[in-house]
This record gives sequence, C-alpha cells and structure tokens, in this order.
Amino acid sequence: MDIEKAAPDRLVPTRQADRVGAVKLNEVVPRRHPGRWVATLLLLWLAISFAQNVATNENFHWDIFAQYVFAPQVIRGVGWTILLTVAAMAVAISIALLLVVMRGSDNPILRTCAWFWIWFFRGTPVYTQLLFWGLFAVLFPRISLSLPFGGEIVGLDTKMLVTPAVAAIVGLGFNESAYLAEIFRAGFNAIDRGQLEAAQALGMRQGRIWRRILLPQAMRVIVPPTGNETIGMLKMTSLVLAVPFTLDLMFATNAIANRLYLPVPLLLVAGFWYLSITSLLMVGQYYLERHFGKGVDTIRARTE
Amino acid sequence: MNAIMTPPRSTDAQPCVHLQGIHKFYGAVHALRGVDLTIKRGEVCVAIGPSGSGKSTLLRCINQLEQISAGRVFVLGELAGYTEIDGRMHVLAPRRVAEQRRRTGMVFQRFNLFPHMTAIENVMEGPVQVKNMPRAEARENAQALLKRVGLAELAGRYPSQLSGGQQQRVAIARALAMEPEVMLFDEPTSALDPELVGEVLDVIKDLAKSGMTMMLVTHEIGFAREVANHLVFMDQGAVVEEGDPRDVLNRPSNPRTRAFLSKVL
Ligand SMILES: Nc1ncnc2c1ncn2[C@@H]1O[C@H](COP(=O)(O)OP(=O)(O)OP(=O)(O)O)[C@@H](O)[C@H]1O
Ligand SMILES: [Mg+2]
Repeated sequence: MDIEKAAPDRLVPTRQADRVGAVKLNEVVPRRHPGRWVATLLLLWLAISFAQNVATNENFHWDIFAQYVFAPQVIRGVGWTILLTVAAMAVAISIALLLVVMRGSDNPILRTCAWFWIWFFRGTPVYTQLLFWGLFAVLFPRISLSLPFGGEIVGLDTKMLVTPAVAAIVGLGFNESAYLAEIFRAGFNAIDRGQLEAAQALGMRQGRIWRRILLPQAMRVIVPPTGNETIGMLKMTSLVLAVPFTLDLMFATNAIANRLYLPVPLLLVAGFWYLSITSLLMVGQYYLERHFGKGVDTIRARTE
Repeated sequence: MNAIMTPPRSTDAQPCVHLQGIHKFYGAVHALRGVDLTIKRGEVCVAIGPSGSGKSTLLRCINQLEQISAGRVFVLGELAGYTEIDGRMHVLAPRRVAEQRRRTGMVFQRFNLFPHMTAIENVMEGPVQVKNMPRAEARENAQALLKRVGLAELAGRYPSQLSGGQQQRVAIARALAMEPEVMLFDEPTSALDPELVGEVLDVIKDLAKSGMTMMLVTHEIGFAREVANHLVFMDQGAVVEEGDPRDVLNRPSNPRTRAFLSKVL
C-alpha cells in the first residue's frame, strides 16, 4: 500500500452541485463591489492612453528598438548578464551558508573570521571591490605556493586565473555573500529551538541536522529576500564595467547607443531584457516557495 | 501488538539510568542541587513537583540536551558526554554524543515534530538518517508504529494538519522508531486540551505495560499513581522524596511533599 496516498479523502463539493452527500450547501450571494469596477475602468483608461502616447511618440524610436532588441551583441549581452548573475549568486550562496555555520559554531576562530568577512564586504562599496578585483593581476602578478625563503612549489600567472569574467563573478559574489549571510542567519534564527533538540534527541549528527531539519525550514524564510537579492544582483552586474568586463547587457546597449547617438531606444532594449529576466526569476521563486512551503498552512486567514 | 517492541538488549541487572550528585547552574540559577537517582530496567519512574523545581532540567541532562555542571550521568552503564581520566572529564566528540543519544528516546511538551515532513516521514527520519535503514524498511516500520499509536490513516498528513493529541502520538512513534532502551517524557500532555490527554496517556500506558524503561515528568497525579512504580518528588532542584508511588502519594513523609500534594490532589 502506498501510504502517502492513503490520506483521508476530503469531501470536495463540485462547483455545480449544491449538495455534498446529504448536506444541502448554503446558497451564497457574494457581496457586490461597484467601487472596484469604477476604479478598474479608470485605471484601464489611464493605461491605454499612456500606452498609446508612448507607442506613437517618435522620441522613443521604436524602429531602432525593433532593430536592436534581438541583435547578436545584445543577445550575447543577455547571456553574459544571466551567467554573471547565476554564477555570482552561486558563489554568494555557498559562502553565505558557510558563514552562517561558522557564525553559529562554538569555535571562536571560525566565528571571528565570519564576522570579519561580513564586516569587510558589507562595509566597502561594491564598485571599489570590483575595481580592486580588476587590479588583482597587477597587484599580485604571480600566485604561487612556496616555502618561506625557499623555492616555489607550484605557481601560475594571475592573469590566467583571474580573468575579467572571474574577477567580475568573484567580486559580485563575495560582496553579495555578506548580505546573504545576514538573511540566512535571520532564517535560521526563526526556527524554534525545539527542532534542533528533537533532531539531537534522535541522535542525528550536526551536519545531517543542518541539511535535513534546519535548512529546509529556514528556506521558507530565506527564499523571498534571496529572490530580491537575485534581482538586485541582475542589475548590479552592470557595474562590472569597473573590472573592466565589457560583455554584459548594459555595456552592449550603451556601446550601440553611443555609436548611434540615440540613448533612448537602447535604454528601452536594456529595460526590456532586464524586465524579462526578472519575470523569469520570479517564476522560479514561485516554485521554490511552493516547494519549501510544504507542511505550512498557507491558506490565508479570512479577511473582511 | 508488542512484537514491535525491542526486547531488552542486555539482561544484566545494571541500572538503565544512574545519576550521581548532579548539579546544574544556569549562570547564577542553581537549578539542580545534587540529584542522585537510579532507574532500573523496566521501571516507570514518574517525577512530580512544583513548577521550576528542575524536573525538565533533570530529564534534559539525561540525554545531554543540557550540560551538567557537576556529577555523573550514566545511561545504560555508560558515562554520558565524557570520558573520565584521572578524575578529569574529557568532553566526548559530537559523534560519540550523538551515538549515546540514540539509546534514549525523548518526547517533548511541545511535540517538536518536523513541520516540513509528513507524519510518516517524521517517524522514518531517525532510522533512515541515523541508522541508514533502507527507506522501504523504515517506511514499513513507521507504518506499524503509527498503527500502534492509532494513527495508521493519518500517515500522509503534515503536523499542521493534525490535532495536538495526534501530533504527540506521532512524536512518540518517532522516538520509538529508534528502538530506544529508555524513553524520556517531559510533560507530554500539558500542552493538550483535556479531552486529548487521554489518548496520549493510553499510548504511554501501553508502552509501560510492554516493559519499556521510562522516566516521565507529569502533572497528572492520577496517571502517576496508575503507571508509576517509582515516584520522585522534586522541589527546588533536589529530590525531596522518592519511592513506591502509593507510599509517597498516600503517606508523604516530607512536609514539602505534603504541601504540594494537598494543592494538586
Ligand atoms: N535556559 C535557562 N536559563 C536560565 N534558567 C533556566 C533555564 N532553564 C531553566 N531555568 C531555571 O531552572 C529552574 C528549573 O527549571 P525547569 O524547567 O527544570 O523546571 P520544571 O520543574 O520543569 O518546571 P515546570 O513544571 O514549570 O516545567 C527554574 O528556576 C528555571 O527558571
Ligand atoms: Mg518543565
């Protein structure tokens, strides 16, 4: 027998039927909301007239927009921007999880390191950090492992390791990790202490407790603000110019705009793509929230 | 019905729980003041006493949710939490502490079920994650345990979809799934509505009949009289009186016990 399917059947009234079994359901007449109709019409009218104006306004150069919105260098920019966002967030999330575990540990060295990391990366502007990562290869031309006063064991030119793309990802990711660490900490703090104790009482080891008990519960609190941060990161990628990294969406559209002396349609192109990617991210967030909301009653309280 | 219960693994006369001079300080609060207690195999030990007398603290010291400040805790013959070398207590690795905790089961006042798992997943969690039991086998055992606590039909529900009494019975099944040799209950019914208390007490009564060694903190004096074969009265962090429940409840020798019982009976 499959147990998960053995949940008791609920009595689900079908829409047409006004009775469930022997029970005759109340005939409910919903309250009317005339105000809502008026407001809807008013807003619709405003929206249509605004859209009409924008669509027919020549200052927007919609022909240029149409010409460049799917241009190869723009599409490549979109690809790089998505890649930077995803990679930087992956770096940030991994480090942030580590930071949270470190801050919660009873090892004072780990706790201090985590505190210092967050203090530093939150306390300096991301633009400055990106400039620094861009200069990394100049400041440290060669990375090597060597004995003190002795010979080099292994080494390589920094230029090979810290390419502009790597500098951009590391720069954005490290900076973001400090913010995410605080979000994650709030998520873990929101969990009742009894959860940890119940898991300990079962004899679970610390690693398992984090992975199986605490993380899934914290995710419920963590996902919405992290979605926020991801969207923020999407737009923060336009700062990688500081490295300089020159393949992202903002740089691509700016370059075209400067060539054409027409900033507005290219700004529209950029806006269109940022908005599209954001919408995609929001869909992902919806499914994540649904997954981690398991077991929590999300039926809203009745509002009057 | 008792087929699910594990038979006692060691038949020696060794006590299941043995506490020697336990002291516990929370900062300046002296919560336990030199508690000595022995619980023999198969014994049902019930602790009663006024609020703040240290009953929960004592229970939590037994499975190391609290670190004791002085004394020794022996569970199933093993010194809990430390190895003693030349009179000094060397803290055990977390891995060893986790291993020690596996031999005791604990049921909490506020259930503490894992809210993101269904009832049966809660019960399976320990065996699968701690004992590396195959999921199919764990599921079968869990289903049998849920049946034993009268919840076979609700296996697929999440804790938020269960009543308090049902949640507590799942919590008992979850603890039993690890096949503990000692069960600890901290006021298992005091978060429940009066009409739900009975269903949980019935499960505990069954467990007591099956020969499970347990320590139970409760405010249900009637229940204590019924199931206990060892009653402990605590006050201000100390065991004031202990012994056969009929003697302690009917002829308390200590004035503090008498004062407490006159209030609650
Ligand atoms: N984490 C803590 N920090 C400080 N003091 C604590 C802590 N936990 C318990 N205490 C104190 O220790 C004493 C014993 O508490 P304990 O919870 O063991 O009492 P109890 O007998 O279980 O009471 P109740 O019947 O109300 O549950 C109390 O004075 C309490 O205030
Ligand atoms: Mg208590």
